[in-house]
Amino acid sequence: MMRVVIAEDAALLREGLTRLLEDRGHSVCAAVTDGDMLLAAVAEHRPDVAVVDIRMPPTHTDEGLRAALAMRKAFPGTGVLMFSQYIETSYSAQLLEGGAAGVGYLLKDRVANVAEFAAALERVAGGGTALDPEVVSQLFRASRQRGGLATLTPRERQVLALMAEGRSNSAIAADLVVSGGAVEKHVASIFTKLGLPPDESDNRRVLAVLHYLGG
Amino acid sequence: MDEDIRRVAGTVLRAPFTRRTVHELLYCGVGGLAGVIGFLVTIVMLAAGLTISVSVLGTVIGLLLLTLALRVSRRLGGLHRRVVWWLLRYQVEAPPKFQPGTGILNRLDKRLRDRAAWRAVSYSLVKLPVAAVQLYATTITCIGLVDITYPLDWVLFRHQASGPMVVVFPFPLGGTFDVYGFAGTYLAAIAGAFSVLAGTWLARGINAGDRRLVRSLLGPSSMAERVSELTRTRTLAVEDSAAALRRVERDLHDGAQMRLAALAMNLGMAREKLSDDDDDARPDDATVRELLDAAHRNAVDALADLRDLARGIHPPALDNGLPSALATLAASSAIPASATADIATRPAPAIETIAYFCAAELIANATKHSYANQIKINIYTERTGVLRLEVTDDGIGGADAAHGSGLAGLAQRVSTVDGRIDVSSPPGGPTTVSVELPLKA
Repeated sequence: MMRVVIAEDAALLREGLTRLLEDRGHSVCAAVTDGDMLLAAVAEHRPDVAVVDIRMPPTHTDEGLRAALAMRKAFPGTGVLMFSQYIETSYSAQLLEGGAAGVGYLLKDRVANVAEFAAALERVAGGGTALDPEVVSQLFRASRQRGGLATLTPRERQVLALMAEGRSNSAIAADLVVSGGAVEKHVASIFTKLGLPPDESDNRRVLAVLHYLGG
Repeated sequence: MDEDIRRVAGTVLRAPFTRRTVHELLYCGVGGLAGVIGFLVTIVMLAAGLTISVSVLGTVIGLLLLTLALRVSRRLGGLHRRVVWWLLRYQVEAPPKFQPGTGILNRLDKRLRDRAAWRAVSYSLVKLPVAAVQLYATTITCIGLVDITYPLDWVLFRHQASGPMVVVFPFPLGGTFDVYGFAGTYLAAIAGAFSVLAGTWLARGINAGDRRLVRSLLGPSSMAERVSELTRTRTLAVEDSAAALRRVERDLHDGAQMRLAALAMNLGMAREKLSDDDDDARPDDATVRELLDAAHRNAVDALADLRDLARGIHPPALDNGLPSALATLAASSAIPASATADIATRPAPAIETIAYFCAAELIANATKHSYANQIKINIYTERTGVLRLEVTDDGIGGADAAHGSGLAGLAQRVSTVDGRIDVSSPPGGPTTVSVELPLKA
């Protein structure tokens, strides 16, 4: 069970998220509507993770992101899942600046797949990473290390994208419908080709990949 | 050569009998009087304003008086333009409408820098000698006409009277002379005819000069001013369209996109309920139904949001022209509204769109603020290639173009195509907002 704080100004989504999470046995400590209230709620309830809409009152621009950054500084142990209708590369960059541990950035569309959304939130709550495929593909496009990426096979690129999203080997295997051993082989090959140090931990692996892509 | 002289002489001599001459002389009289009055009003206010503002204590009052003088000059300019059109059918377009500033100092500053008003002031000042000549032309023509009637006069009234008839010869060094007999009255008639002829041509000449003055001092501004006006309105147009796009994005984000996300969430949860439950435990029908209901509601709401948004971008009713679009608009008004239209040439699509949104905004304003029982919408094309939209309500009045942000926004949008808005809304009503648009953007 996770303890969650939700910050989202649209009542429809706020209530839907609350219900979705409570249905799955998680506890929603607070559901608030702006950044200041988010910080207050996190201070009060010390949740495992916060789901934060980027655009909230009063200016409807990026107050959610700013509140999330402030929150990460004040409560480093609490995971943050940014939840937005757009993926902005500059937002992902700011968010990942302080490390990829306990950070997520998903399109609101992803909530349609309830199980995946819940899994992503659990990953973030546990100190992992959950990046939207959209974030990853933007990073791929923007990556200055195109040469390295070009040496990967299509399959390896798929695996790399899923790694960057923050998935574990077993999740990647399930997603691609291959065996765990096959994924491990792909991962090893990717790390060799890109010149990254092999690493077991999911989170440090994501960091390495992101660092490589951010190059 | 002879023919030329004869033709010119013919024109010169026939001139007094033309319709045009009547108008020119009438203009000399009316325009001359208006000129003298305008000069006096302007000079008094300017002098008072300037002297008072130079004195330390009265600066504020003086400046206020000065701005008042400038406003009055603009009005006088409008009056002169109307008289020129009315009597001489000489059309001079009005200079751009004054754009009031915001804040006391800025308002004052804008007034004092109102070039059109200063040009109107200079017209009022230059007009005095012109007016003097115009009045002189009118006077000598009138005297001439009287002189011409002397023979008739003599026959009818004077043949037995004693004493001479006094003839006025209204020219420099002319003075008066006396006539003692019937033959002499012919001399008077000849002098009269000469006066009429001279008055006629003097009137024509001075009026031609006056027309030039009106065009250059009371007409639209010089090229430089026009450029700065265009720069300003172009900025407004660009800002307006950027703001419109931002509004669309915002509406999508808070409306349809949000509802579709909620819809996806509801469907996702319903699917999970149906697939997750164990085989022996029946899926919870009530919960699934509830989720599907919510999803359905969100889909319907999203459609409605999108429809509103699409209509806000381009009202489909406009495809059939303004009259039917405005009729549709009137029919959907909360306060009973009627629309009449008389459009000779169909305006450009951009103009139609602006007129439509103006009407929509004005109806919304009236609905919100006026407590009116009836709204009348009238749209028609004027002979001068102007589309005029009038929205009148019988409400409480007191609408202020400078303070109502809605009206100010409309004025901005309208000014991007060189249109203008006039608001007449005395306390107690009725309110009439008149929007003037060119037929082509």
